[in-house]
Amino acid sequence: MIGYICKYTPVEIIEAFGEEPVRLDSGYKSHERAEALIHSNMCSFAKGVLENIIENNIEEVILTACCDSIKRLYDVLKDKVKFIHLLDLPRKKDPLAIDLFYNEIIEFMEAYQAFKNKNFAEENLLKILESKSFNKEKQSAESIAILGARLKDDVIEKIINSCTANVINFTCTAEERVFNIEAKDNLLKSYAESLLNLTPCMRMAEDRSKLINKELKGIIYNTIKFCDFYSYEYAELKSKADLPLLKIETDYNDSNSGQILTRIDAFLESTGIKKMEKQRAKKGYFVGVDSGSTSTNVVIIDENKNIISYSIIPTGPKALESAFKAFEIALNNAGLQEKDITSIVATGYGRVSIPFADRIVTEITCHGKGAFFIDNTVRTVIDIGGQDSKVIRLDDSGNVIDFVMNDKCSAGTGRFLEVMARTLGISIEEMAKVHKEVKENITITSMCTVFAESEVISLIAQNKDQRDIIHALNKAVASKAVSLVDRIGRKGKYMMTGGVAKNQGVVYAIESRLGEKLIIPFEPQIIGALGAALISLEGK
Amino acid sequence: MDTVKIYTNIIKDNMDRPEKVNKLINFGLTSAYYYVSFFKDKRIPRSLHYLNKYSIKSIKDSLANPQNSAWVNLFAPSEFLIAMDIKPLFIEAYSSFMSGFFIEDYLIDTAESRGMSNTLCSYHKTFIGASELNILKKPKFMMTTSMICDANIPTFKYLSKKHGVPLYIIDIPYKYSKDAVVYVKKQLLEVAEKLEEVFNRKLDTDKLREVVKTENKTRALMREYLNYAGEKRSLPTMTFEMYMLFASHVFIGSKEILHFYEMLVEDIKRAPEKNGKSIFFIHLLPIFEKNFKDYFNFSDKFHIAGSDLNYDFLDEIDENDPFKGIAEKLILNSFNGEINRKVARIKELIEKIKPDGIIQFCHLGCKQSMGGTFIIKNLASELGIPFLYLDGDCVDKRNNQEGQNRTRLEAFLEML
Ligand code: SF4
Ligand code: SF4
Ligand code: SF4
Repeated sequence: MIGYICKYTPVEIIEAFGEEPVRLDSGYKSHERAEALIHSNMCSFAKGVLENIIENNIEEVILTACCDSIKRLYDVLKDKVKFIHLLDLPRKKDPLAIDLFYNEIIEFMEAYQAFKNKNFAEENLLKILESKSFNKEKQSAESIAILGARLKDDVIEKIINSCTANVINFTCTAEERVFNIEAKDNLLKSYAESLLNLTPCMRMAEDRSKLINKELKGIIYNTIKFCDFYSYEYAELKSKADLPLLKIETDYNDSNSGQILTRIDAFLESTGIKKMEKQRAKKGYFVGVDSGSTSTNVVIIDENKNIISYSIIPTGPKALESAFKAFEIALNNAGLQEKDITSIVATGYGRVSIPFADRIVTEITCHGKGAFFIDNTVRTVIDIGGQDSKVIRLDDSGNVIDFVMNDKCSAGTGRFLEVMARTLGISIEEMAKVHKEVKENITITSMCTVFAESEVISLIAQNKDQRDIIHALNKAVASKAVSLVDRIGRKGKYMMTGGVAKNQGVVYAIESRLGEKLIIPFEPQIIGALGAALISLEGK
Repeated sequence: MDTVKIYTNIIKDNMDRPEKVNKLINFGLTSAYYYVSFFKDKRIPRSLHYLNKYSIKSIKDSLANPQNSAWVNLFAPSEFLIAMDIKPLFIEAYSSFMSGFFIEDYLIDTAESRGMSNTLCSYHKTFIGASELNILKKPKFMMTTSMICDANIPTFKYLSKKHGVPLYIIDIPYKYSKDAVVYVKKQLLEVAEKLEEVFNRKLDTDKLREVVKTENKTRALMREYLNYAGEKRSLPTMTFEMYMLFASHVFIGSKEILHFYEMLVEDIKRAPEKNGKSIFFIHLLPIFEKNFKDYFNFSDKFHIAGSDLNYDFLDEIDENDPFKGIAEKLILNSFNGEINRKVARIKELIEKIKPDGIIQFCHLGCKQSMGGTFIIKNLASELGIPFLYLDGDCVDKRNNQEGQNRTRLEAFLEML
């Protein structure tokens, strides 16, 4: 068995040797061992592959000189596995480039032959190529394309299963392999040429815009954390292609597939591609209800931790009524009925008064759980809600090991910002914009909402620029949050949850203070409910 | 400092008026040029003073006349441009200057808002941001190589498409072989043709040969300089080691750079003996990071011994067949190919320079460099030299955690 990662790998040669090529994936839970060998800011896919190779004791590996990450992966692996070979893959495909690649393939064959002490028979290769060259079907008209960085097989499969359209995979894991086997007298050369003729990936010099044709109903564009190759093409598509475009970012981490699939589903619905009948989850569905002072949020997941639906509504004067309503909306969104639900966990201030919950758990535990599920590199969760704010410290397994909460007043919370927006006479959306270029760096000295309000009033009276005042307010909230963080000590990565995480200005201000980027989940308000749903599932 | 701040704020306030920003940047460069011309800092040797002026002027010139300039990256073979009198503007230098003007954050945010990944190298993001805002006027041509850094091809492809400016990508194989040389040589011939076509002038092969000859002479001086680099103390600030990239890369082959190295060798011969501890840097120096500035600039205690990036090629180029010679130079660069090549070069340099410590500043987004950190760490321990790596950003000051860096840097320096 020989592990590989790239579609340009001469897998047919490996097969002709009578060996089994296995495409390496990176289904890791942690990068502990990988990060002992390679810097942690490398691409998460490359780290995951490294982890996989160590964990599964893979002894033979063939890589292509794909990108800086893979080149370094090769350097790191060189004395750690029994056989490793790096194929230099040209970026062009003129005759000289084909010659080069052909030589590379020969070099690999010789190296492998020597290592295995096995002979290579060209007839075997011919047979394999013949069997592969004619099974390419013409794609039907309604298609969606997956572009960008590789996606995990299970995600691709789920996309295929969840829509009726043709799914064309243009990423590194694409399986189309068509070979020119006419030129039998120089089979290896034309094999090398056929490989270079595969759909060009991002690293190739070729223009890829021809991949995007009018027939496509939409494009799902994947990027991988710490891989920068793909953002360019995405930026270009975003400004040019008049096709529905969904950008996702994966990190090859098992736990975030659920979140991604929810977004893909929503995207497919919006492109009008009919969804197939949902398969009923066998073990039922699990619900988390977060009854907060400002909003009530519900999340429904299935047994595989996929987020099926969620709802967010403002908490009315009666917490119970809001909880019922949010639950109902989430059920409707999912096309489910109450009887489909296996169990419910409630959290948040109002958790005690929800009679339909099977269990109650504090929002601290639930937030920790939800955040770690979304991204298991998170060690600190900063949750700023409507009325309160908290900071939660997680250990490497996602358990809560420490936390702090604000004192019993609304300083530094969503409420604070709301009051100030009202004072300024602007909408909360207006407040949320980032104003980086400040004319004057104003500081709001009072943390107390009441006193801060009068400070703002006097700033208005002094005719200060509104943007500067907003900036000052965002800074005030950030400073409060960071002082909470400092109370339990700084430890990254940081995730920010709660409604205020949607306020770009605050996020930016916290980031500048921490000197680190915050991870913002796709829907920061539902993390507590998500955690509750996960607990509900695991409790079963 | 405050004048810079005021200047920065004026630029930032005018970002929606590219013409004006352009003028302001030109004004900044001009003032910097006159400043360094008239206020000679006694602590700076003559050669570096000359280089300082030369570097600022080269950026100014290419910005002032975009129709006679080409955008390139640090590793692109600019011999052709020099021979044809085309002014190169290289991404890394432009972005460093923008960071020097304190506007990199704005440019980076612009690039990110257009979709660029937030982990992309900030040299590239700053440059892309400036060109998105049309602060950078489009050049007549772009040229890049595929070697060393992943960001090159996509950045240039993106910009060339966006501005409709012709681009030539030179694909440099990872491994050296006869065929590889042939492959690159053919591309170099193509690039020359393309240049002739775009700029509508002929490339005189004799002139190219002259450039290569000058380059060879320059490299001989570079090697001579290295003989003294271990004992002498000649680099007063980190910025100068980075300025040397103008000389060791994009402008090598020009008469001015030859002259610079002549002066540099004289200067180092006369320079005082090294005292205190010397540090060798891997890849880049964080010239805007406060802690490093505090510890290394004009310091008696810590001395900058050099960096491997300035010595990634030390051999002669074939003067008879400059196309082939340049092809070989590109493929054999110590940053191209397996990391062993780079490790061997670092080892060679360290044995010559004998520094007291090695620091690798892992510039965020630079996978080629940080991917090798632990391998270089092993080399350092094999050689018995203390090694430190720090994470940060050489351009985007927001990505540097000053407090954390300080503790680690200080502890390391105490250790020496
Ligand atoms: S990006 Fe291209 S070269 Fe790299 S693994 Fe994917 S298909 Fe292979
Ligand atoms: S995801 Fe990007 S950085 Fe990672 S291996 Fe693939 S191309 Fe390289
Ligand atoms: S720092 Fe690294 S990623 Fe950035 S331009 Fe240089 S080599 Fe490329």
